[in-house]
Amino acid sequence: MIKVAIIGCGKQADAHAALIQRLGHCEIVGVCDKEELMARQLHERFRVKNYYSNVHELLERARPDVVHITSPPQSHLALGKLCLENGCHVFFEKPFALNFAEAEILIELAQQNDRKLTVGHNNQFNKSAIQMRDLIRSGFLGGTPIHMESIWGYDLGDPRFARALLGEKTHWVRQLPGKLLHNIISHGVAKIAEFMTGTSLKVMVHGFTSNLLKSTGNTDIVDELRVIIRDGDYTTAYFTFSTQIKPMIRQFRVYGPKNSLIVDDMHETVIRVARTNYKSYLNQLVPPCLYGAQYFDKALENVGKFIKRDLHFESGRRRLVESFYGSISDGTPLPITYKELLLTSRIMDSIFDQIKAV
Amino acid sequence: MLNDTIVGMNDPILITGANGFIGSKVVEILLSYGFNNVRCLVRSSNNVGALNVIISRYASAKVDLVEGNLLSRDDCDRACKGVAVIYNLVAGMEKSFPGCFMNSVVTLRNLLESARQHSNLKRFLHVSSFAVYSNFELKRGGLLDETCEIETHFMERSDAYCYGKVKQDEFLREYGDKYNVPYVIVRPGVPYGAGVKAPIHARVGIDPFGIFFHLGRSNILPFTYIDNCADAIVMAGIKKGIDREVFNIVDDNLPTSKKFLRLYKKHVGHFRSLAVPYWFFYIFCSLWEKYSHWSGEQLPPAFNRRKCAALWKGNRYSNNKLKDLVGWKPKLSFDDVEDRYFEYLMKLKGKVN
Repeated sequence: MIKVAIIGCGKQADAHAALIQRLGHCEIVGVCDKEELMARQLHERFRVKNYYSNVHELLERARPDVVHITSPPQSHLALGKLCLENGCHVFFEKPFALNFAEAEILIELAQQNDRKLTVGHNNQFNKSAIQMRDLIRSGFLGGTPIHMESIWGYDLGDPRFARALLGEKTHWVRQLPGKLLHNIISHGVAKIAEFMTGTSLKVMVHGFTSNLLKSTGNTDIVDELRVIIRDGDYTTAYFTFSTQIKPMIRQFRVYGPKNSLIVDDMHETVIRVARTNYKSYLNQLVPPCLYGAQYFDKALENVGKFIKRDLHFESGRRRLVESFYGSISDGTPLPITYKELLLTSRIMDSIFDQIKAV
Repeated sequence: MLNDTIVGMNDPILITGANGFIGSKVVEILLSYGFNNVRCLVRSSNNVGALNVIISRYASAKVDLVEGNLLSRDDCDRACKGVAVIYNLVAGMEKSFPGCFMNSVVTLRNLLESARQHSNLKRFLHVSSFAVYSNFELKRGGLLDETCEIETHFMERSDAYCYGKVKQDEFLREYGDKYNVPYVIVRPGVPYGAGVKAPIHARVGIDPFGIFFHLGRSNILPFTYIDNCADAIVMAGIKKGIDREVFNIVDDNLPTSKKFLRLYKKHVGHFRSLAVPYWFFYIFCSLWEKYSHWSGEQLPPAFNRRKCAALWKGNRYSNNKLKDLVGWKPKLSFDDVEDRYFEYLMKLKGKVN
């Protein structure tokens, strides 16, 4: 039985608590928030053994094996250090850390203490992302990726998150170096970081405030971002973040020397773009039919998953947490490599530095 | 007329959430009664146009507009300084349980702490809601009044707003008893009037799959016209001898859901609706709830038996306690305001479309 604690009892904590309780082989031994009332409400609703408003007390009394830190990223370094020094493995809600330097400190400390860390990049563990990884491993691309495109759309009308941010000038997201971008883009950037080496990294950024946000007086928030990334191996990528593109898109395209893949997070599909040798008009007639057949297959697959109770919005998070807990109890590899965590932080730092400079 | 009040016309009065639908009307009614030392706490000064229009009509009164967030103790201290009565109209309206709790209970705690230290508090009037009641065990058509059971199965009901409001009430009672805070709780039914955001309340019906399900049918709607509601709130905030009491606010001669829908179609525009019997929808909700549980919430329990009962079971309502102890009477009936209300809804529909 893995003993789990949650630090930070705000909006993100509910999803973590519900998931941990569903896993079966683990138990939430305590929840903690510096606002005692918030800790109490989570404790009451999820019938958790104890609640705390002091982290030291939580670690000392509940003695968790794993701590989920769901508080804002400004607190990740201090809380992460404390948990690692007390012998806990740590699951961070995204973004992993405030910047690259903090990410490095946390990873170094984890390695020194023989503890493990990961971050809640759930979409990396959706069925579609796993299928993509399997295809790439099997050599479908015909080599390492040449170019990638990651598009991450965000709905400013989402009442759970964006409205609170826009309505409040002192909201913690506004205090982050990259503000809204800082809290969101690690999902899309991590998809690119997974396939880059990180040597001689070049990042070119263009970011701006959409007219919609300007009209609401939120001129300090950048909500449109276009990024070009290149590493020492000349693997390149485009990253796009947009609040204005409708319908909202969350896609990852990876292009190889032979074939390519389109992964759609919104529709849970992976489409194979394979080289064809059809002559003349057949090239315009056959491939569209084959794409249609692929979409039809995916639709059937998703229906099957729904029937088998495997189409949860939270299924990516579940696989990630299970894989992380497995790496702790069985010594299997971490679900997200430290190289990927660090590279994601480096790219994000570079993006925010360039936006700030403008 | 105001008799037996606990405050004078010059005593400072604080209204939180003063630029909201109910809040701005409470400010207007306080000013119309002659209270001339009013402090309005608003979350953001961006959305105070309607409130400023009201204030401008009472030039001789001292009305302070204070911008602040009740999650900040400093803002609470500033707002509470020296006040005699607090009208607390703040509630978390978010979809998440923690969000509703934080914006309802943590804000309430901060406000009460500041009030205890920085005010000469004579009354803390807290605006709760009908959402706190559970009619799950109550018969169809049974009387829902102040003595009814309070909801305790929040997660099953999947209603974050209900959770926030119940916990707010609970906290106020505990805190009030511990520190001897003179509080009164009022629970409006469904306030309506110019300013509502949803043209048709869920108690009438919903449109989840592209067709409007008329679920209220012959149920009585616990409506309270905004002017009546705000008047009741104002009076309960200043009336002598009612500390620690709870009052439901509903009007007299309440319309049925059927009548409301008929009038809506007549005045605002016709659309197709399907009358769905309560028992049928209850079974649907029950099945949905079971599937949600079985599938580990692959479908969230948005439809469930408790919510179904709360919205569409159909009950009778009473305002007798409010009339007897506070001396309130609704000044306007549904029939009086029908034309102007539907005219507003027509404009609202135009804006939405």
